[in-house]
Amino acid sequence: MSLVKKIVTWARIKSPWILHFNTGACNACDIEIIAALTPRYDLERFGIILKGTPRHADILVCSGPVTSQIKDRLIRIYEQMPEPKFVVAVGTCACSGGVFDGCYNVESGINAVIPVSAYIPGCPASPKAIIDGVVKLLTSLEEKEEAIKR
Amino acid sequence: MLGMLFSILIFPGLLFVSVFGLSVEYIDRKIYARLQNRLGPPWFQPVADLIKLLAKEDIIPKAANQNMFKLAPLFALTAVVTAFLYIPLWNKESLFSFNGDIIVVLYLLTIPTLAFFIGGWYSTSLYARIGSVRSLTQLFAYEVPLFMGILSSALLAGSWSLKEIINFYAGHNWFWFFNLLGFAITLVSFLGKLEKTPFDIPEAETEVVAGSFTEYSGRLFAFLRLTLDVEMVVGSALLAAVFLPFGFSLPPVFAFVLFMIKILFIVSLISLLRTIVARLRMDQMIDFCWKFMVPLAFLQILINLIIKGIILR
Ligand code: SF4
Repeated sequence: MSLVKKIVTWARIKSPWILHFNTGACNACDIEIIAALTPRYDLERFGIILKGTPRHADILVCSGPVTSQIKDRLIRIYEQMPEPKFVVAVGTCACSGGVFDGCYNVESGINAVIPVSAYIPGCPASPKAIIDGVVKLLTSLEEKEEAIKR
Repeated sequence: MLGMLFSILIFPGLLFVSVFGLSVEYIDRKIYARLQNRLGPPWFQPVADLIKLLAKEDIIPKAANQNMFKLAPLFALTAVVTAFLYIPLWNKESLFSFNGDIIVVLYLLTIPTLAFFIGGWYSTSLYARIGSVRSLTQLFAYEVPLFMGILSSALLAGSWSLKEIINFYAGHNWFWFFNLLGFAITLVSFLGKLEKTPFDIPEAETEVVAGSFTEYSGRLFAFLRLTLDVEMVVGSALLAAVFLPFGFSLPPVFAFVLFMIKILFIVSLISLLRTIVARLRMDQMIDFCWKFMVPLAFLQILINLIIKGIILR
């Protein structure tokens, strides 16, 4: 049983498929996310693939503060993803609301709406920071599994 | 009985062809990455993807037709794995060869497309429906040149069984050179069957999210992915047996290794093609298939008829 669990955890860490969702960013963070996916950084060597549909994704990569328009859609997309799922907030806005915090049409950071597993600050977050954040999320998963075993 | 079960489930059946399919997926992705000047995925990537998907939650949309949605991937996988049993791997005869097996393999290769259609259609998502209708439309474009290309080689050999075809080409060395045009046509139309890049219109991520697979998650999606991998192996193996029919008289081990090399050669050709071309539009693809590939396939048939009438008399 534990061997099976080990293999499954290994597979999860080695094959994180991501879904990119703009929750109201100024577009700079999105450009950086796209830049991180280009052949220059070659995320496929970590097994990371950009997927078009939430049904295939393991990690939801959100950028930008949550506007009231996008809130329901964000929750819906999150619920459409199959378990186990994780959320990564990219950019200062996604972490806390950033410069948009307190606006009448904005619900501060992503964590005001759905649970977030990793925060990547920066305005915009650079591709290297994004990759580093995702890798840290994956290693933390590994450690969590270790801790559960102990 | 036990031997038959062994050959169906383990070698050269389900287990072998799945493992081989996963390695072929790795080779395909690696070549694709290297041609784009990237490092590409590590060797265990397809296995990790498969295990992860198998361990994920299965979501079946409420509006979907439960049975159809669940059965379509299994149906597709069964069809392609069955098709592999009819392909000769290490000698001139496959395990279950009979007269007309080439037609059976071709038809079994059509089933996944229909299963994708059914699965996509009954998942009732808009994107999935558009994708599945596109994959059926595409079927009408590439299926004709595919069949004509493969059967032109059978025509020259004068038989519809893979065993007889291989025997014929073993008796008439280098005759397979005449079929190179047919080989090219079949290879290109086969890209349509695999939904690979010039013809990946049904699952164009930039247009219809993921086509018929949009609503699939977890285990069912793993089966669909495995189906595509195995389909690639079966198709390449069929092409290798029909268009590169040499070396089957070697001792079984060598013949088997040679056949694997032939399959890998065809797979690399497919990866190369899908790297260097961009996606066509649906109407462009249908134009291309009917205006260029079908006439060329007719030309190939004509060549083969002339050879049959003049040289083989
Ligand atoms: S963090 Fe900066 S770059 Fe990113 S969405 Fe907010 S304002 Fe734009």
